[in-house]
Amino acid sequence: MQFTVEQKPTFAHITGTGRLNMVGAPRLREVVADVVADGSTHVVVDLGGTEFMDSSGLGALIGCLKLARQAGGDLRIANVSPQVRMVLELTSMHRVLTPYASADEAFAGD
Amino acid sequence: MTEPSARRSRRGPATAQTVDALHGDLEALWDAAGHVPESDRMAFALAVVEAAGNVVVHAVPAAEAPIELEVDLAAGPHRLEATIYEIGAAPAQVDLGGAMPAADDESGRGLALIQALVSRVVFERHGDTNVWELCRECGPDPA
Repeated sequence: MQFTVEQKPTFAHITGTGRLNMVGAPRLREVVADVVADGSTHVVVDLGGTEFMDSSGLGALIGCLKLARQAGGDLRIANVSPQVRMVLELTSMHRVLTPYASADEAFAGD
Repeated sequence: MTEPSARRSRRGPATAQTVDALHGDLEALWDAAGHVPESDRMAFALAVVEAAGNVVVHAVPAAEAPIELEVDLAAGPHRLEATIYEIGAAPAQVDLGGAMPAADDESGRGLALIQALVSRVVFERHGDTNVWELCRECGPDPA
């Protein structure tokens, strides 16, 4: 899985391309940990290029969410595929990790 | 009874890389079984990956040799089936009736997901191998 990080005025925009699974999940944890350690505590993980997510990928998102909140910020997800939405809804995690239509919308209402 | 219209199989070390490679097998299966609706593909693929991932994380070797993972996939006219072998694993039990964990737990959702995604899941000991059997009926996508 490939990740890119772009610093926007109000949040760090992380884009993940590929499969967020047992291989990709540890990479996401590393990328978000680095972003938060560098002082960006408001993070959007853009899953527009994420074709598949399993429970290990979801676990990584939850871990990253906790990390961002512990640092005083938040993590939100955007642009999810039907497959990712299925995982969120089957686990009821869409209530905690609510998908936003786009990265720019994720913190727009704050 | 009708025979499955497509089959794919993989055997390799019980690692995250072998589980990741299953996506290629599933794509090849769908190429050969174009009748399977997208919603059934998504659900079945996730169930297979969750079960195979459970082997990688939880299976314990019965001896010094590392565990091997074999996954046999079959797509029939009305049914999708997967048989997943934990080769060289010690006898084990899995709780197939478990609920989803708390929202802040980072693991423990795989078995509950499998239950939600397939119509039948069985975990049994066959000889010296633990075997998962997953089955999902497939039909036309809802309009």
